[in-house]
Amino acid sequence: MRIREMEIPKRYHIKKTDKETLSQWFYLMVLGRALDDRAPNYLKQAIGWSYHAPYAGHDGIQLAIGRNFDRKTDHLFPYYRDLLTCISAGMSAEEIICNGISKDNDVAGGGRHMSNHFAKPEWNINNVSSCTGNHTLHAAGVARAMKRYKHKGVAISSHGESSVSEGYVYEAINGASNEQLPVIFVFQDNGYGISVPKADQTANRKVANNFSGLKNLRIIHCNGKDVFDSMNAITEAKEWSLKNQKPCIVQANCVRIHSHSNSDRHELYRDDMELNYVSEYDPLAKYRRMLLRYNRFTEKELQAIEEKAKQEVKEAHKKAMAAPDPTSNSIFDFVVPEPYNSVKYPDGTHKLDGPKKKMIEAINETLKDEFRHNPDTFIWGQDIANKEKGGIFNVSKGMQQEFGIERVFNAPIAEDFIMGTANGMTRFNKKIRVVVEGAEFADYFWPAMEQFVETSHDYWRSKGQFSPNVTVRLASGGYIGGGLYHSQTIEGALSTFPGVRIVYPSFADDAAGLLRTSMRSEGFTMFMEPKALYNSPIAATPVPDDFEVPFGKARIRREGMDLSVITYGNTSHMCLQAAEKLSLEHGFDIEVIDLRSLVPLDKETILNSVKKTGKVLIVHEDKVFSGFGAELSAIITEEAFEYLDGPVRRIGSTFTPVGFNRILEKATLPSLEKIEEGMRKLLNY
Amino acid sequence: MKKIGLIYSFNTNKTSQAAKKIGEQLGNAVVHVNVENITEKEFLKYDNMILGVATWFDGELPNYWDEFVPAIEDMKLKGKTVAIFGNGNQKGYPENFVDGIGILGKLLESRGARLVGFTSAKEYTFESSQALRGDEFCGLALDFENEASKVNGKIKKWAEQLKKEFD
Repeated sequence: MRIREMEIPKRYHIKKTDKETLSQWFYLMVLGRALDDRAPNYLKQAIGWSYHAPYAGHDGIQLAIGRNFDRKTDHLFPYYRDLLTCISAGMSAEEIICNGISKDNDVAGGGRHMSNHFAKPEWNINNVSSCTGNHTLHAAGVARAMKRYKHKGVAISSHGESSVSEGYVYEAINGASNEQLPVIFVFQDNGYGISVPKADQTANRKVANNFSGLKNLRIIHCNGKDVFDSMNAITEAKEWSLKNQKPCIVQANCVRIHSHSNSDRHELYRDDMELNYVSEYDPLAKYRRMLLRYNRFTEKELQAIEEKAKQEVKEAHKKAMAAPDPTSNSIFDFVVPEPYNSVKYPDGTHKLDGPKKKMIEAINETLKDEFRHNPDTFIWGQDIANKEKGGIFNVSKGMQQEFGIERVFNAPIAEDFIMGTANGMTRFNKKIRVVVEGAEFADYFWPAMEQFVETSHDYWRSKGQFSPNVTVRLASGGYIGGGLYHSQTIEGALSTFPGVRIVYPSFADDAAGLLRTSMRSEGFTMFMEPKALYNSPIAATPVPDDFEVPFGKARIRREGMDLSVITYGNTSHMCLQAAEKLSLEHGFDIEVIDLRSLVPLDKETILNSVKKTGKVLIVHEDKVFSGFGAELSAIITEEAFEYLDGPVRRIGSTFTPVGFNRILEKATLPSLEKIEEGMRKLLNY
Repeated sequence: MKKIGLIYSFNTNKTSQAAKKIGEQLGNAVVHVNVENITEKEFLKYDNMILGVATWFDGELPNYWDEFVPAIEDMKLKGKTVAIFGNGNQKGYPENFVDGIGILGKLLESRGARLVGFTSAKEYTFESSQALRGDEFCGLALDFENEASKVNGKIKKWAEQLKKEFD
């Protein structure tokens, strides 16, 4: 039978389901609704819960998601309206209230994330973003890990129907379909994205049917307001997805009885008739009527259950109100996890002499070495592995042949999917280390920025409960005649986000050492590769087989007393050449510091050098205006002003795009001549 | 003609309007019954039935019918003759035009009832309907939103058809 036409077995039925189960469901539904109805009171009393998206009207489907989730085997990604989902999955009323009023013992993340974003990472109830549907990519990623490790479980991604307007939701579903991943995408369809009706989102009212052309995908429609229809739909979706190892969409038709959230006023865009019929179809009231109509419970029995739920809420309220608030100085905890500690190379230098390796070889060999060292490593990206081709610049050449397609594989041309599934895959266990080529060129990383931001938040937002252990490699920078979209170097923009490390080597040995440290560390690292140096002899060095470079350790590549030049990436070599030239021609003694690591930054080495020379030139390839050098300049001015004998000057790109014509490129990017001139000016100041 | 149970929600606007018009056409044989508080016994009283059902949301039964479904599922309806009418909106909800007629029709047939009152679907424009059987609907589709002027004529014609098709 074609999967679209398969019937949903009626496992649950008002007349057949055992009384104990019906009783549990009623209790959970009443408990959830009591909390949902009570939430606005906390705001009115200025206690908290200042964001509340009521779930009333989604009761059937949320009960069903939670009841079908198995914390031992599955991963659940609830969205900001999933209160009952989380209660049904086993979270307590106290845990819900502590999240609502942002207490330190909020199990989602100690009050760091917005209220109504319920989670319990310890149970695989993931702490997700407020960006609607952004966790679809994480669900696809963790499901990929389940498949790779032959684990029997499913990822359940829950969100509103308007989320399908987001491109990344398409990327997730397309990827799950293509890779045949056990993900259940639940669209809780209440007809609105805040005030925007479905008709303004997409032409198809049954938005799940927008995906009907995708292979390997089952689509189930159910009545999300009805307990039995929802239970039957989700139970079937999970069983089918597990058995067939394929994704399933469940579109559950719900009603939104209240406004989108406490900051919305639905009476501004919904008429009385609509407000009346949505409240008439209250799923909880319907379930209660059914229990009585079919003589499964007496009125007295139901009242007793309602009373018990009321009591639980009362007690939970008392405990939550007495729980501690987070302390202000805790904001600096869990920004980035502690990195791998290099015992053998504590300052990231070595004295090996011998044959030199090019940067491309150093990266390739380190990747392979780390893949041999850790069997839980994976790499993917566009162009990463197809026969003899290994990456756009062949950096990953030979990896698929050695480690197989399960660990080294191509990704679709969807940068956000690459990034988001990297984040998701590392949720499966802490041993996994993922490396991705974030984009063919750094210039194409921008579509992945929403997942970049997300990944930078995860560790902090979950109060250290989840660390995305991902290294993103990006072929960066110009000097190849690449024009606007093959010359960008984007570290200046990236460095404004806390929660991510950014490294930018200039030499082969540092590239190898930083990559090894990154792949052995917990956390999220951007590994910027100056692609013009991949095969350049000037970047080639001897590389110890086990070399490691700790984060936040700059390297003084040339010592001097007259001027400190702070640089990284492509311009390190120009600075060294210019310094050598001025030394030979004029006897100037110039110090050149290769930062290697931008975040964390080696302030100590920088400030010590400034104190010694009194003059500073900052050189990088990125734009001067708002480039990373602006931060360096500000730090030096603030912390070493009294040691300065001249202005801190910067050399970098002009505040223009990089033109394709070589004349335009040259005019834009820093060059040996521009740097030499900059050095002269400062030396003569 | 035997008594006909005309069963629909009295708490509706257009369905009630249509039911009243159908009742007028069929005369004294018709007994109006409110589905909102119907019992199994009341439902089974009639061998000839006309059911009025709207389609809610994206193709669901209204809750007053939906909550009665578990009761119907256990009924033996052999010997019962049933006609169904329902309102739909071809332009606004073309994906599930008069689905309610189809859902109820399928259920009743599965319990042994004989469906009558099929009408041609040719003059309607829609994308999908659970009420469709070949090029006919298994009941009468009314579209007050887009062709209100045709409602009376369709009801009249359907009532004449039912007079012949009911026992």
